[in-house]
Amino acid sequence: MNRFSYVRATDVAQAAREAGAPAAKIIAGGTNLVDLMKYDVERPGRLVDITRLPGLRAIEDAADGGLRIGALVTNTEVAYDRRVEARYPLLSSTILAGATPQLRNSATTGGNLLQRTRCYYFYDVGTPCNKREPGTGCPAIPGVNRIHAVLGASEHCIATHPSDMCVAMAALEAVVRVSGPGGERAIPFAEFHRLPGDAPERDTNLGRGEVVTAVELPARGFPAHYTYLKLRDRHSYAFALVSVAVGMEMDGGRIGEARFALGGVAHKPWRDPEAEAMLRGQAASRDLFERAAERTLRGAKGYGHNTFKIELARRAIVRALEQAAAGTPQSQVDKRIR
Amino acid sequence: MPEGLSGQPLRRREDARFLTGAGRYTADLEAPGALHLHVLRSPHAHARVLGIETGAARTMPGVRLVLTGVDLADAGLGPLPCPAVVRTIGPLVVPDRHALARDRVRHVGEPVACVVAETSAEARDAAEAIEVSYDPLPAAVDGRAALAPGAPQVWMQAPGNQAFRFERGDRAAVEAGFACAAHVVSLDLVNQRVHAAPIEPRAAIGRHDAATDSFDLLLSGQSVHNIREQLAGPVLGVPADRVRLSCPDVGGGFGLKNFLFPEHVLVLHAARLLGRPVRWVADGSEEFQAAVHARDLQGTARLALDAEGRFLALHADMAADLGAYCSAFGPGVPTNSISNAMGTVYAVPAVLLEVRGAFTNTLPVDAYRGAGKPEANYMMERLVDAAARRCGFDPVALRRRNLVTAFPHRSAFGITMDSGGFAEALDAVEALADRAGFAARRAESEARGKLRGLGLACFLETARGAPGEWAAVRFADNGLVDLALGTQSNGQGHETSFAQVAADRLGLPFESFRLVQADTALVARGNGHGGARSLHMGGTALVLAIEAVLGRARRLAAHLLQAAPDDLAFAAGRFAVAGTERGVDLPALARAARDPANLPDGMAPGLDAEADNPSDLITFPSGAHVAEVEVDLDTGEVALVRYQAVDDYGNLVNPLLTEGQVQGGLAQGIGQALMERVVYDPDSGQLLSASPMDYALPRASDVPPLPVRFISVPTASNPLGVKGAGQAGAIAAPPTVMLAVLDALAPLGVSALDMPATPERIWKAIHEASGGGARPPA
Repeated sequence: MNRFSYVRATDVAQAAREAGAPAAKIIAGGTNLVDLMKYDVERPGRLVDITRLPGLRAIEDAADGGLRIGALVTNTEVAYDRRVEARYPLLSSTILAGATPQLRNSATTGGNLLQRTRCYYFYDVGTPCNKREPGTGCPAIPGVNRIHAVLGASEHCIATHPSDMCVAMAALEAVVRVSGPGGERAIPFAEFHRLPGDAPERDTNLGRGEVVTAVELPARGFPAHYTYLKLRDRHSYAFALVSVAVGMEMDGGRIGEARFALGGVAHKPWRDPEAEAMLRGQAASRDLFERAAERTLRGAKGYGHNTFKIELARRAIVRALEQAAAGTPQSQVDKRIR
Repeated sequence: MPEGLSGQPLRRREDARFLTGAGRYTADLEAPGALHLHVLRSPHAHARVLGIETGAARTMPGVRLVLTGVDLADAGLGPLPCPAVVRTIGPLVVPDRHALARDRVRHVGEPVACVVAETSAEARDAAEAIEVSYDPLPAAVDGRAALAPGAPQVWMQAPGNQAFRFERGDRAAVEAGFACAAHVVSLDLVNQRVHAAPIEPRAAIGRHDAATDSFDLLLSGQSVHNIREQLAGPVLGVPADRVRLSCPDVGGGFGLKNFLFPEHVLVLHAARLLGRPVRWVADGSEEFQAAVHARDLQGTARLALDAEGRFLALHADMAADLGAYCSAFGPGVPTNSISNAMGTVYAVPAVLLEVRGAFTNTLPVDAYRGAGKPEANYMMERLVDAAARRCGFDPVALRRRNLVTAFPHRSAFGITMDSGGFAEALDAVEALADRAGFAARRAESEARGKLRGLGLACFLETARGAPGEWAAVRFADNGLVDLALGTQSNGQGHETSFAQVAADRLGLPFESFRLVQADTALVARGNGHGGARSLHMGGTALVLAIEAVLGRARRLAAHLLQAAPDDLAFAAGRFAVAGTERGVDLPALARAARDPANLPDGMAPGLDAEADNPSDLITFPSGAHVAEVEVDLDTGEVALVRYQAVDDYGNLVNPLLTEGQVQGGLAQGIGQALMERVVYDPDSGQLLSASPMDYALPRASDVPPLPVRFISVPTASNPLGVKGAGQAGAIAAPPTVMLAVLDALAPLGVSALDMPATPERIWKAIHEASGGGARPPA
């Protein structure tokens, strides 16, 4: 294993200072980073342990009726928090659809945002990879790419973002609070993760030395009409081939506010504002949902093994919208797809 | 068969140990003073090794030894042998497989060098400092493609990458069968490459005693004697009696731990050079890339039928991917093992099996739960269902028409099946399947937007593994009785089942027996576990040893009771003079036998006895299974909603253990049918399914309840009347589940689908069946 030094940060300013050093990497739950270090994918020279930072471990009510989730709150703590369960059941559902109880007990909210892709080639240091070693090429494009992106990919990278939680946060229009050398700032969720473009080594728009401190959820939580539909190779401990998080407000049979985000299909949780706009004010119907799905996938591109995901995503969107409109969310206890 | 504990569903004696964390596995064992070995592996599928620079690694902290292939060559270590005996047409090419690669690497994960250091971390760090210069070469990755013209060449001595050609059967008779057939079905089938994935990774601790130049290897293994045979003479160049192998508890093997691996050689050689114990424990990704894989057979299978649906001939023409080397039994699996089961439970008058073995730049392939029998059964059941569907036969009636019903039955390959309840199992499973009610269930599923399918398959296992087995019964001073066997448990429950067998026959309490296994110093000989052989091979040896014990005991009892041996009756552990109260029990006899003064003239002290079971007879477990699936048309997701097995394993010593064996096999078979597949990048030969994250083993929520109903048709081929149960589930589930999936998809015109039936493949199959353009009905 690569040798590295270790420091335990005692406050956010110190963490930001330490994390700003070249080759430094922040570690919290370690559920992704430690694996990547074992596989030699990540070779940090210094680990900055932020698990003892004060004030990042709480879920607090916000003045606007929303909720502020500290970056170190574990996935389990978020998923089973009574306020989250009552006001943001979509968020609970996405978290419970992912990983295993052991991992969720350790993984943090901030770490979940910063998960790296599960691309086979990214993990295999015996192959080139533009994300791991910029400029070396992307063997996934001509290779085995069944888990790869069909939306927003580039000629340099077709990796997907693996998080379930982030798909809900995208639909909920969460805001990521960060602290760094330039002080504090808020990043709208849609702008937090990046598309690969010609710099696939950058997963997010975090600046050097910036530390995620919290995620803020706006008041609107879609507690009645929501779903998280996750399609995968087996019912647990598997990343999404395609997933859809939906939050809706219904007025009788008519749709009010409507949002949906896709996981497993792009380098970031994928939203299409035009497709969402098509839903607002309309009567819920399969036909409408099919048209919204078509719109979402109009730019989709398959790379061979993953071409099936375009049609799978289309159908998953329709089903998820139907589930949300009907108020019959996908169960994450019995994960068989209804 | 004596009444008593045999046949009782006793809970396992070993479970208390396992469930409380008191099991002792190789990696748990202390080895004072031990060094740690780490293997540096090839990152390339195929490359010339231009040079290995180890200077920096040798000077790193804690490093005691760095070895490369050249060092092993200088030390005179031989290549790992391939003891498989296959009657091929022309030669079987067995390239030298050295514990460390020499001038070329031929698969990702092949050992290139190793470091031995004071700690595992130091060994890993130093391995990173070894600089290997490689000249990468094009890789052959797929078995069938490797045999095609123009493929990259893995071995000079195997032109066209062909390791062997194998043919068994009567070609003229098969051609005649097809010539006069009313119906012929032909399928292109892939039995994909899978990984056994036992939960305990391989591990070993090697020791060497310089004074006697003898070796000691503790390992997680399934077959200490066979591994020693491969290791001692061929590799180390020493007599077998100077090499001791033993296994503590073993956390699953499924075939994979039957083989000699390069790491076994490395820990022993390093221990010899350094004079200290050397330990090695595989990590998870090493197991995926560097243990062995399994199955990987693809080709065409054809079945000829007459107008009434009677089978006339069966022909399979297959390519078997062996990987980069011939693993120990690698060439035997797609040849000998498949051919034993060809035609399975059906009377097929003419059978021809043609197999070409291919070398590829992938991990070697070897036996895994079923080894050849899953392949034979999968192709047969796919053919039978396809024939029924295409020619308009009812699938159950077509099976029933062709089942073997008269025993003994001699197969087209000359294998005699002594007994079986094939028709009985089919009748029972058909009744349990409630076929009459299926239309209603299908309609109910359709109302929920799901396609429902019912798959019903028969299976035949040809269980034996290596022929012959040894056992001994030894009376200890403390009143306990050791049962020593040459078979090995790697979690099956031998401490329970063999004690049941012995308790009934010796009339002693169940608790008085201790199992002695997996140690060449304590077990004279044996063939370990593999091929579902332990109970019928080892159990028979045990019965013979018990009979020998009772013969000695009777002689002593007669002497002590001053009666004729034939006047003694043995019951409940006591010899008694018929018609009197006079008698003596077995523990008393065991004590008395220690003192020569008590013995009749010419009798050696002690009651201990051993026996060899010379049998090479195969047992023929069989059954019929039914599965129902629901396929979600929008997503391609398959839900296995119902499964029922009806199986014949002859007499059951412990039905609870048998059921567990069947269910475990079924879970692995369901995994192969629905999710598992080893994937190499077709261009670079990089292993893409190299972790439990990327290689989908089924989890609890993927497996429905698996009820097993037993019908018991005892076999006369062994005194217990038992048939091997360990592999059956992994043989039966893949065809059963796949036929259910195909039944569900049949209304859409889907007839071609390979395992694993993932959502993606289902979707593609639907898409292709609908003409490629149109979207299937949702």
